[in-house]
Amino acid sequence: MIFVILYFALLLLLSCGAAYYNQRSAFLLLFSLTLVSLVLAIIGGIPALRFVAIAAGMLLAAGMMSYAFREFLTALASDEMAKELRTAPLTAAFGMFVIFVVAIMGIFAPAIAPYGEAEIVSQAFAPPDNNMLLGADQLGRDMFSRIIYGARNTVALALCGTVLAFILGAMAGLLAATKGGYFDGFMGRMADVIMSIPSLIFALLMLSIFGGSLASPQTSSWLLFGFAVVVGLLFLAAAAYSLVSWLVGAAIVAGVAFAFALAGTTIFNASEIILILVVAIIYSPRVFRLTRAVAGNVVVMDYIEAAKLRGEKNWYLIRREILPNSTAPLVAEFGLEFCFVFLLIAGLSFLGLGIQPPTADWGSMVRENATLISFGEITPLIPAAAIALLTVAVNFVVDWMLHRSSGLKE
Amino acid sequence: MSFKKNTDVLLKIRDLKIQGYSDETWVDIIKGVDLTLHRGEVMGLIGESGAGKSTIGAAAMGYARDGTRIVEGSSIEFDGIELTTSTEGEKRALRGSRIAYVAQSAAASFNPAHKLIDQHTEAPVQYRIKKRLEAQEDAIELYERLRLPNPGEIGFRYPHQVSGGQLQRAMTAMAMSCRPDLIIFDEPTTALDVTTQIEVLAAIRDIVDQFNTAAIYITHDLAVVAQMADTIKVLLRGEEVEEAPTDQMLENPQEDYTKSLWAVRSFTSEQKHRPTDGTPPLISVKNVDASYSNGPKILDDVSFDIYQGMTVAVVGESGSGKSTTARVITGLLPPSKGEVLFKGEPFPASYKDRSKDQLRQCQMIYQMADTALNPKVQISEIIGRPAQFYSGLKGTALKTRVDELLDLIELEPSKYYNRYPPELSGGQKQRIGIARALAAEPSFIVCDEVTSALDQLVAEGILRLLDRLQNELNLAYMFITHDLATVRSIADEVVVMQNGQVVEQGPKDDMFTPPHHPYTDLLLSSVPEMDPNWLTTLLEERGVDNIGDAASAKIDPDDDKVEGTQV
Repeated sequence: MIFVILYFALLLLLSCGAAYYNQRSAFLLLFSLTLVSLVLAIIGGIPALRFVAIAAGMLLAAGMMSYAFREFLTALASDEMAKELRTAPLTAAFGMFVIFVVAIMGIFAPAIAPYGEAEIVSQAFAPPDNNMLLGADQLGRDMFSRIIYGARNTVALALCGTVLAFILGAMAGLLAATKGGYFDGFMGRMADVIMSIPSLIFALLMLSIFGGSLASPQTSSWLLFGFAVVVGLLFLAAAAYSLVSWLVGAAIVAGVAFAFALAGTTIFNASEIILILVVAIIYSPRVFRLTRAVAGNVVVMDYIEAAKLRGEKNWYLIRREILPNSTAPLVAEFGLEFCFVFLLIAGLSFLGLGIQPPTADWGSMVRENATLISFGEITPLIPAAAIALLTVAVNFVVDWMLHRSSGLKE
Repeated sequence: MSFKKNTDVLLKIRDLKIQGYSDETWVDIIKGVDLTLHRGEVMGLIGESGAGKSTIGAAAMGYARDGTRIVEGSSIEFDGIELTTSTEGEKRALRGSRIAYVAQSAAASFNPAHKLIDQHTEAPVQYRIKKRLEAQEDAIELYERLRLPNPGEIGFRYPHQVSGGQLQRAMTAMAMSCRPDLIIFDEPTTALDVTTQIEVLAAIRDIVDQFNTAAIYITHDLAVVAQMADTIKVLLRGEEVEEAPTDQMLENPQEDYTKSLWAVRSFTSEQKHRPTDGTPPLISVKNVDASYSNGPKILDDVSFDIYQGMTVAVVGESGSGKSTTARVITGLLPPSKGEVLFKGEPFPASYKDRSKDQLRQCQMIYQMADTALNPKVQISEIIGRPAQFYSGLKGTALKTRVDELLDLIELEPSKYYNRYPPELSGGQKQRIGIARALAAEPSFIVCDEVTSALDQLVAEGILRLLDRLQNELNLAYMFITHDLATVRSIADEVVVMQNGQVVEQGPKDDMFTPPHHPYTDLLLSSVPEMDPNWLTTLLEERGVDNIGDAASAKIDPDDDKVEGTQV
């Protein structure tokens, strides 16, 4: 009862205050909330009001957190960055905050998580208690620890996949825009071929051939090596200009590709490498198309003509003239693609083809605990909410970047 | 100029202040300008870019562009209606029907997906002034009055099917469609050639006179404004310098700034002559034909020579093949016939086949400094790169060289070294473009319309700089332009081009003394002069139907002078 009185007293006070100080929009919001609350109180009683109060409180907390976080970044950043950051909307600040928290969670997972990701600490589906903040899953592993480890595994894989897709797609796009002609046509048709296959079906096909629990370390390291060689050849095509440089370049490419494959196999296991490669191949055509379109607008500028007339090689043109003028849309696209890759990996894990158990992963955690939903428990929704939150956060940041790069004002 | 039929005050602007938002603060763009315009009066607003001409023009419609705002306390009164306090709906009812606007680029302002006449009739139908058919008939009548060819049919074309000058006139007709009280012309002829400019000027002047419309004519070309305006207002950095009737303003300017504007056209460099000791020309274009990917021939048997240390101006209308010739010389477009010689040696046709040293000899300065400088690269690298690339300079040697070059183009090195192009003004950017060309230590520079995007004062600075550099470094220039005033001030020799052919060439003093080739004559007589009666006299001489496209089409290719033009 006291809660209801306080609730309405606060709302009325705030709306009267807003009206008195001529804050038109704030007043309209507050007073319409008051009116809606009156109706809600009659229909839903105190629990409905409590829900509204909690939701409003959380929204307010998120807003304040984002505001403070933006001020914090502005204070830390250099002058020019600070100027950009000050123009960021609160949503973008919220997105940055969430990304920051997830990054901390992922990097320091072993230090933060109270238990190991595969450690069985209680009985199946144990409810939350003081030891286990979010309860236990279907095997009795701590949900909270697995969420934290999941941030590390899922995000790391999605990040690697996106980065590889970008290196391949962006390099091919830049080269196609610079060289034009047959090379452009060939790369374009290749992209068409990959894009014409539905991505989920393609992923399922590839993963059931190479990946899953049957993945062999040899195959995966060879595939990784092959991928690195293809990317290396693209770099070589941009940088090399004589037979000697082709030969020297080829040797360097082979060496780097080998080192890359070695490094890849030590960090990730076989099935994860296959997953990363499949994701990279599926998403690179989109990056290729965007980069080619953006770079295509840049290569027709007079300063490119001036550089060509100076006798500059393709590599200089790409690195110093075209790339700096295409980074803004590419960075925005990176954020967007990251979301898609992240969702694809979560989806594949949900289907059982992605990250293999017992490794914690948000997508497979949803599937493993899915039975619980019919008992009215929210446990399976927690990893799902984590996926949604990160996706929304990244999109908020991307929206801001797109807005900035498009040069729109209000 | 016109007889005043009704001289009530139509537009009264008092203490107009407009602010723009930049760097997180509001900066004054217009700092308290007053303006009074009577019915039927044409007022010319002149000043360099950034003076706030267009901003005032837009403010006369009660409009402030995105990122700007009209400061409280300003008053814009249009025929008794206060625009600063009226609602958006009220202002919208005025715009198009009682106040019309003619933009600089008609090609960019027409919607390419609709026919001209559909766009024309939109306003009268919208404001329920006329029915659609009635408005169409009216449009055809207006087209006729503006002397558009084939007025009954031209309105049913799409914008891309009509030439630039015709499009600009169609836009004027569109502005007239509701018979507004006030039209704002925002640099309507700046993007046009001199020959096309005349027909648009004549058309605008007539129609404004016929309907007793008041107009604000915004331009940076003094000679043009002298033809059009009854009164002239000179602006500088958002403030009024002075205002006076046209005659008085031309004969007796009061302020120093106005006098300096008038004096701009006085710069001339000393004319140099070809060496007589038989040294081969630096660049020699020999019987060049060229076309873009099997299209029609753009260049037809073009030949001319450029000697060391001399400036050759190539003039002609747009589409005459001036820039294509430059592309052939630089190697961007290999010719289909003929060749380019450098000091008597043939130059490889494509720039890809030229050696580093051949590439360095021939540099280029572009018309649009905005697109010619990479916006994401620092000045130090833009200028430093050619020096590093050709001469292999590094570290301190490179920095010294860049400082030297910045000194040469009269920009303070310490101040500009680390800046980016978007932080510079138009004239400064063009100077950086010049410095980039100089960094290669060339013997020959192609200047492609380098001053046409700049204001007169700034352009004059650039011309003086180019002239000084030529004398110091013994450079040869190929100066592409359609502005004959520029030719008069800087050229040693002149090449006149029309439809991809050289119609006449020779030393400047010969070219500017009659008799001329008829086309040269047409170009020369089409350059506006400061005399306010120039246009009237010219129209009387030539007749109203013999200007613009009609005039250049009339030139007889078998004329004697056409045959005997090769020097």
